[in-house]
Amino acid sequence: MKLEALPWLILFLPLLAATVITLFTQKNRSVSAGLSIGAVVIAFLLSVLFVKVNGFAPEQRELAVNWLSIGDTFQIDFGFRLDPLSLGMILMVTGVASLIHIYSVGYMHDDPSFSRFFACLSLFTFSMLGIVLSNNFLQTFIFWELVGVSSYLLIGFWYEKPSAADAAKKAFITNRLGDFGFILGILIVWATLGSLNFEVLQSKAGVNAEALGAMATIGGLLIFCGAVGKSAQFPLHVWLPDAMEGPTPVSALIHAATMVAAGVYMLCRVFFILNAPALEVISYIGGFTALMAALIAVQQNDIKRILAYSTLSQLGYMVMAVGLAGQTAAMFHLMTHAFFKALLFLGSGSVILAMHHEQDIWHMGALRKKTPVTYWTFLVGTLALAGLWPLSGFFSKDSILALAQHKHNYLLFGVALFVAFLTTFYMFRLVFVVFFSSAKSKHAEHAHESPGVMTWPLRILAVLSVIGGVIGIEALFNRQFAPEQTEHAHGIVAQLIYPFQHAPVAAISGLIVFALGLVAAYALYAKATKDPLPEKLGALSRAMRNRFYFDELYEATVIRLHDLIAAIAGWFDRWIIEGFAIGLVRGGTDFAGRALRLVQTGNLQTYALLFVLGVAVLLYFALGR
Amino acid sequence: MNVGLEHYLTVSGLLFALGLFGVIVRRNVLVMYMCLELMLNAANLALVAFSRFTNNLNGQVFVFFIITVAAAEVAVGLALIVALYRKKQTAHVEELTTMKL
Amino acid sequence: MTTLSYIFLLPLIAAFVLALVPRNFAVIMRLGAVIATFITAILAVKMFWGFDSAVADANGYKFVSTIPWLGAESLGLACKLGVDGINVGLVLMGAIVAFAAACCSWEIKSREKEFYILLLVMTGGILGAFASLDLFFFYFFHELALVPTFIMIGLWGRGEKKNYAAFQITLYLSAGALIALIGLIALYLAVPVELRTFDIPTLTNYFLNNPMAAATQNFIFPLLLFGFGILVSLWPFHTWAPIGYGSAPTATAMLHAGVLKKFGLYGLIRVALPMMPEAAQSWMHVLAWLCVGNLLYCGWVAMQQKNFNWLVGYSSVAHMGFIFLGIASLTLVGVTGAVLVMVAHGFLAALTFGLSGYIYQQTGTLEMKDLGGLLRKLPFIGTALIMAAFAGCGLPGFANFAGEVTVFFGVWQEPSLRLIVVLACWGALIIGAVYMLRAVRNVLHADLPEKWANVSDAPHIWRKLPFIILIFSLVLFGFLPRLLTDKITPVASTIVQMARPVAAREAAVANEVLGLATPASGQAATASDEAAAQPKADTPATTDNQ
Repeated sequence: MKLEALPWLILFLPLLAATVITLFTQKNRSVSAGLSIGAVVIAFLLSVLFVKVNGFAPEQRELAVNWLSIGDTFQIDFGFRLDPLSLGMILMVTGVASLIHIYSVGYMHDDPSFSRFFACLSLFTFSMLGIVLSNNFLQTFIFWELVGVSSYLLIGFWYEKPSAADAAKKAFITNRLGDFGFILGILIVWATLGSLNFEVLQSKAGVNAEALGAMATIGGLLIFCGAVGKSAQFPLHVWLPDAMEGPTPVSALIHAATMVAAGVYMLCRVFFILNAPALEVISYIGGFTALMAALIAVQQNDIKRILAYSTLSQLGYMVMAVGLAGQTAAMFHLMTHAFFKALLFLGSGSVILAMHHEQDIWHMGALRKKTPVTYWTFLVGTLALAGLWPLSGFFSKDSILALAQHKHNYLLFGVALFVAFLTTFYMFRLVFVVFFSSAKSKHAEHAHESPGVMTWPLRILAVLSVIGGVIGIEALFNRQFAPEQTEHAHGIVAQLIYPFQHAPVAAISGLIVFALGLVAAYALYAKATKDPLPEKLGALSRAMRNRFYFDELYEATVIRLHDLIAAIAGWFDRWIIEGFAIGLVRGGTDFAGRALRLVQTGNLQTYALLFVLGVAVLLYFALGR
Repeated sequence: MNVGLEHYLTVSGLLFALGLFGVIVRRNVLVMYMCLELMLNAANLALVAFSRFTNNLNGQVFVFFIITVAAAEVAVGLALIVALYRKKQTAHVEELTTMKL
Repeated sequence: MTTLSYIFLLPLIAAFVLALVPRNFAVIMRLGAVIATFITAILAVKMFWGFDSAVADANGYKFVSTIPWLGAESLGLACKLGVDGINVGLVLMGAIVAFAAACCSWEIKSREKEFYILLLVMTGGILGAFASLDLFFFYFFHELALVPTFIMIGLWGRGEKKNYAAFQITLYLSAGALIALIGLIALYLAVPVELRTFDIPTLTNYFLNNPMAAATQNFIFPLLLFGFGILVSLWPFHTWAPIGYGSAPTATAMLHAGVLKKFGLYGLIRVALPMMPEAAQSWMHVLAWLCVGNLLYCGWVAMQQKNFNWLVGYSSVAHMGFIFLGIASLTLVGVTGAVLVMVAHGFLAALTFGLSGYIYQQTGTLEMKDLGGLLRKLPFIGTALIMAAFAGCGLPGFANFAGEVTVFFGVWQEPSLRLIVVLACWGALIIGAVYMLRAVRNVLHADLPEKWANVSDAPHIWRKLPFIILIFSLVLFGFLPRLLTDKITPVASTIVQMARPVAAREAAVANEVLGLATPASGQAATASDEAAAQPKADTPATTDNQ
């Protein structure tokens, strides 16, 4: 393999940038931004170069050095796994990250902590690339934690705001809950299969499917726990909406395009560990998350929270696809979603900036004319997300629908269709309220377009969102997951019409629900100045708006319980151990001292009596016996 | 009746017990002091008796020493008691408790 | 005289020299202490660097030297110093922390002379205790370091409870040390009169070839376990730690929590495990369950704390649980991980206490409800504190993660302790994150109260230097843990081999007569794993040659 140094450079350039910015260029804003952007753009170019030279499937699939080695059983490598899955992902991550870095220059322009922002962003890029390139479980876990921490730092970027500080803490701890399962899963896999290297594990699990034995399901589900935390699946989904407290570019990069996708990526990477019962659980959790999040999104009013729930819902889609054993479909949707969701978030950032940091959609309106570039690109992103042929979202969503149909899992097929309908509905609700109807506040009347440094990334992402379905992403991942399958369609036209030939029911029903959603949103929201749904739906709407009370539920159960245990432990420590046990020893010594003092009467005659008694006892023992 | 060693020792023992009883029970310092002397003399008596019956003069020599030392001790002790009485106007031990905590 | 003996003697000589300087020259006191510890630290780094290429003696110790004028030949006492893979990291850590502690002592404004002399004596004692190969001096130097701790808390401590704290820490640690002393004396007496020696390698070899009777082992081992355990704040003997550290002056807390506390753990690994293998086997589960008390219970108590220093104190107690757990596993990976955590936690504890000391000096309080938003005012200190919090909740990139994860993997090899690993993971990943992030949230984030408008960040490089060095060390060993593990592993493997000979023998029997050895099969399975892990040192006979 040529250019072996490149993966190292790609990975460590962003870390280098983060270090240099933190240590030396805190004061110098432009140098900081230049370093950070330079690192990620060079990483992108180097990735392109690497793929050009070595192709997507280099013969040598691993580059590794030993990181930790104790005895013969505990050998941990630090290494890279280079195959279509990781290389495709690297291109996406560095590419999208480059655009978002550039966009941030405009978005964060007036922030006093500009340099810190770019340092954190570079740290995140480093961590994310580490997950993608990792060749073993522990390295994945290490970078898994590191993305968690960079996400913490970026969500809490405006730490003076208590809500941001709390959201950061919540995100980190919720992620940690997932990681708790993840590390236990890793331990189980290591103890039964004796290795952590993906290649070795795959060969072992491939030769003997029962190699994991009785622990297979538990191990698989524990590893899935990691993905549940990072990809914000039910029941650990609560952190992602709160994470929107972070700056918008962060939401775009971390909480839409890359980090939250890491869970799906990891599941695809270690798919061989998961057995049928585990996959079933995974698919239903994914489906449930998709449905629940889409329902919640319908009644949110904060522009970023709508997008956050939309992200949750799409992640549920991907996890469901993994659960249905469709890694290609999951990864395909992950990639296209990265394009259009990053686009949507960046677009929302542009809107928020135009609105002077107002995020309530009911205070916006009629921005179509004031911010044309944002409007058009946002519309493209919405259409792609909603799945209009021939935009990218159509193809990837269709592949998941087709998968569910193909597996004869009609429940999940129905759920997926319904979610697709809801997606179109809430996205067009957003578009109609924000860009059409009438201006509902002063800010909306005086809004103006963002600078070029922000709009150009939007344009590029819009192009990618349009063509993402037909540039061979699916074929790329098929090489990884289904190498025996020949490429099914050659040429653009063939690719464009392939879904209709392959699974016409899925494709056409997908388009029908798109149309239904669009019509419903138009009917309700095209002219609306306030949301008509709460009146129509009543309690259901309230529940949706309050996120089905998950936060309150967790607050009342998990958090209270832990605080209660902590309070009991604190009480025990203070009163039982410190107070009672130590008090007993101290008091006992004290009491013994006082008791013995009574013997010392100071009365000579008492002493004499005791003395004589002592002599008598001694005499008895010396002579009497 | 032949007076033997046991008779001397019995008398000596009784004397000693009397003296000890006095020391423990009586509350007047002067009486206690005299009881102490009684115990000392009980010991002297026993020593002289042993000396007589074992034909060993060491015991009697020892008694002379004790008498001498006791005389000196009486001088010091009585002087202390008198001084104490002068200071406190009492010779009752339960009232002489200035050194007690 | 080797580098090691200079490392050990330099602080003591400096203390002696400072004693001769008149007390008016406070600056000289500080300067002298800083320079002496700095040179010590440099020498320690040099020794660590040259460790791999240094020549080892017959027992595998390097830089061995005897200080002739200390000790008495007639009594069989010799101040013999030497390092192997286990204590070289501890000596390095101790020297660096001592330098950082000397740099962090700006808050001392009264009786500087005494303070710095005590600090140097403490440093010398700590380094001597870790470097000593003689049972007597091993214990003696620990006491030499312990006594200044009490005095420093009593004289320069803070808060209303400082006298109570000084009393409690003195009584607890003296009790622990005395219990351990009984154990060590019994150990000394367990050797026949003509062979009696204080030399640790000789003793180890003796007991390897002539194992102690099981009853003797079961008498001595608990004494050492609980004696050393009290010194390391093993649950439920931990309450001295938070109150002690909460009241101690910064430098004392740094040195004690960081370095001196590791003495008990070092003693367990160095003395108790190899010399009393059978007792170690039978007490393993007791220790493992007690350290759940450290990991979970103390974590929960830490969540409850209102005072930052108390929180850090409890968290440092909680971290001891990982080390105990690694030791209790009696596996190569576990023990190696335990040593790694010892070194990592030394840096971390020193860093955290140093930072909290700085904040206390600036604000005069560490009650978390009074603090808040300090990150804006203290960008450097705040960032360092966030890094310390991350290291404390086991984030990769810091040495603690490498150690903790190694412990998890090591203990997982012992099937009977897997439940405890699950609990330990919960303690490390969840509870640790909760209290550390709560602290960060309460101290650094949110709005800045008016009254802290005058708080100022570390003004110049000298105030920043100790923190930079400690963070650098944490990150260095976090990125390249092999720097330590490659040194630890060979020694740990010898010790683990010694500590599990019975199981190894049973395994051999079980392998020969399959089916007959069913009662021992559970143990035998792990033992054969273990044997597979170290094919080089399979039997005690081969270990003896090393």
